[in-house]
Amino acid sequence: MVCAHYFDGRSTRVREVNLSIAGADLVIAGEGIDLRVPFADVAVDERLGRAPRRLRLKDGTFCEVRDLDALDAMLSSTAHRDGRVDRMQRHLQFVIFACVACVALAAAAYKWGLPWAAALAAHRLPPAIDKTLSQQTLKLLDGAILLPSKVAADRQRTLSAEFRALRLPEGGIPDSDLLFRRSPRFGANAFTLPDGTIILLDDLITTLGDDRQCLAVLAHELGHVHGRDGLQMLLRSSAVGAFLTFYIGDISALLAAAPAAVLEAKYSQDLEQQADDYGAALLLHNGMSPALLAEALNKLAVSHSGSPSGYLSSHPSTDERMRHLRWLAAAAK
Amino acid sequence: MENISGSEMPSRAASARAPEQLSFSGRGAEYFGIWIVNLLLTIVTLGIYSAWAKVRRLKYFYRHTELAGSSFDFHGSPTRILIGRVIALVMLLAYNYSVRLQSRMTLVVLLALALVMPWLLRNSFRFRLYNTSWRGTRFHFRGSVGGSYRVFLLNGFLTLITLYVMAPFTHQRLKAYQHDNSWFGRTQCSFHARAGQFYLIYLLLLAALVGFFFVMSAAGVGHVLVLFAQMQKQGGHVDPNLVFRTLFIVYGVLILMSLLIGPVFHALVTNLIWSNTRVGEHRIACNMSPLAMIWITVSNFVLVVLTLGLFIPWAAVRLAKFQLESVRIIPASDLQEFEAAEPEAIGAVGEEAATVFDFDISL
Repeated sequence: MVCAHYFDGRSTRVREVNLSIAGADLVIAGEGIDLRVPFADVAVDERLGRAPRRLRLKDGTFCEVRDLDALDAMLSSTAHRDGRVDRMQRHLQFVIFACVACVALAAAAYKWGLPWAAALAAHRLPPAIDKTLSQQTLKLLDGAILLPSKVAADRQRTLSAEFRALRLPEGGIPDSDLLFRRSPRFGANAFTLPDGTIILLDDLITTLGDDRQCLAVLAHELGHVHGRDGLQMLLRSSAVGAFLTFYIGDISALLAAAPAAVLEAKYSQDLEQQADDYGAALLLHNGMSPALLAEALNKLAVSHSGSPSGYLSSHPSTDERMRHLRWLAAAAK
Repeated sequence: MENISGSEMPSRAASARAPEQLSFSGRGAEYFGIWIVNLLLTIVTLGIYSAWAKVRRLKYFYRHTELAGSSFDFHGSPTRILIGRVIALVMLLAYNYSVRLQSRMTLVVLLALALVMPWLLRNSFRFRLYNTSWRGTRFHFRGSVGGSYRVFLLNGFLTLITLYVMAPFTHQRLKAYQHDNSWFGRTQCSFHARAGQFYLIYLLLLAALVGFFFVMSAAGVGHVLVLFAQMQKQGGHVDPNLVFRTLFIVYGVLILMSLLIGPVFHALVTNLIWSNTRVGEHRIACNMSPLAMIWITVSNFVLVVLTLGLFIPWAAVRLAKFQLESVRIIPASDLQEFEAAEPEAIGAVGEEAATVFDFDISL
């Protein structure tokens, strides 16, 4: 016998009733109610904590039950079985497993899934997206952070010609635009826009001095072009932001923005490594040594000692990269 | 904040009944199991399960909310919520990319979003209310499409061109549109707060923001900002540590603001809105303490951060309990006398079950 409230679905009137099972039927008896319905026609709400559960009849009427233990006892004599998710939610071992699994899955998705998906998507998106995105960025930067270059015009021409003469490992020549700019803010630096436009800053040319080392840096930047890394970074950070908003969104949208910014800053390591490998392959393909890139990195590291805001700030563990490049150079001999 | 504008209190003193407080019996540990399983299944299905997760979450909260010994219920279908989420995602992407890639298309996309948004929001209100019930009687939203365009487009536009001077008025119009068009069964709700009352709270907010700004500049935030600006102007190398420190402080101020002023504003506005809403002749009193709201927001924030999010279920339950239990219904007559809308009447208005376009776009 289970106490319940019966509602007719047409008004908010409460009727006290008793529920019981007779054979294959559910019997509802109480204030002016005497019903007997096949239990197979009754839908039982899943359990959610200690919330009242409802037994719904086909005509839209239902019984609201508060005594959950009595209901369980009654249901045990019927064919009713709790749903799978319902059982998972109440099973302590499964809840602990879910905690661990969530952390493991999130970590795996961040480490492998996201880079894989971003690379896949970046190579499939139409180049038009990169183009507009890059022109927009360049327009914002030019005049504000980027100033016209002061490097002599014939030096620019020589570097451009040497850049154009490079042969890509996969065949063909670079079709990236090479732009010369000066920026007191960024110092000795070079960067690639999503559409492959490479911007070379004056301080980098003067710091390195040597054209072949400049070409080595450009080879590294061509690695970013090859991987469409600019777009990849954009896709990755959007995905991280979306997930964090979903995760913490219930509580605070502001809270969700903070870790996203931190995660983005540290994200580029694997892409840098790939760009180094591509740059090394390109240099070898053009009869130059990957050690040139290692030397360039070394010079930049020395010139930047004390100020981590330059070329190397987004390029962690320079020592390790130089070791790797020198190893590639030695292996090629 | 017990300003149940007592202008036309029914004189039938005999029929005045004891207020019924909403109560919430959810528990953090219990909700944790539901939350973590929801999270796991959502990750495993790459987000698709999130619609089912939302239904389960809403059911947990609705069914643990009780009024006069009976609990509320949520009836929404997960597939409708999934459709809504896909639409919301597409719109979000369209918005993000059109804003980032400024071109001729940007204006077209923004215009299209502005045109479709009021209609979507109205359908979303309809979905949410129709799928909420108490004692087997459902709520309904009967706001017209025209009304939605008036509130969101016309009032929204007026707010923008008056540089947000009209914002409190627009807020009042929005709540009037929502609550005046809400029904519980055959009983219509009504909204009685005036725009002036909204202006009062917004002025308070403005005063608090100005005061906060002065305190913060005195505390040296302004100093760092000025230093930063100077370094930039001189064009020299900017000390990265200074940049980090500045960002840190700016971010800290934003968080502090949202933790202190946000909850007070939320409490005051919620009290105003619900204390001036009636369900037929029945009145509602909402009496949320702003100080308690600050305490809950701050402590939830700290604990969620310290536990890397594991405290979220407890935080959500605490917040729901505090907010719901500050609401009382002051019945004008027996709460057993509500009647559900006739099924035929529902069909005749071309509403609810029949429409393909009802979905929940709120995430």
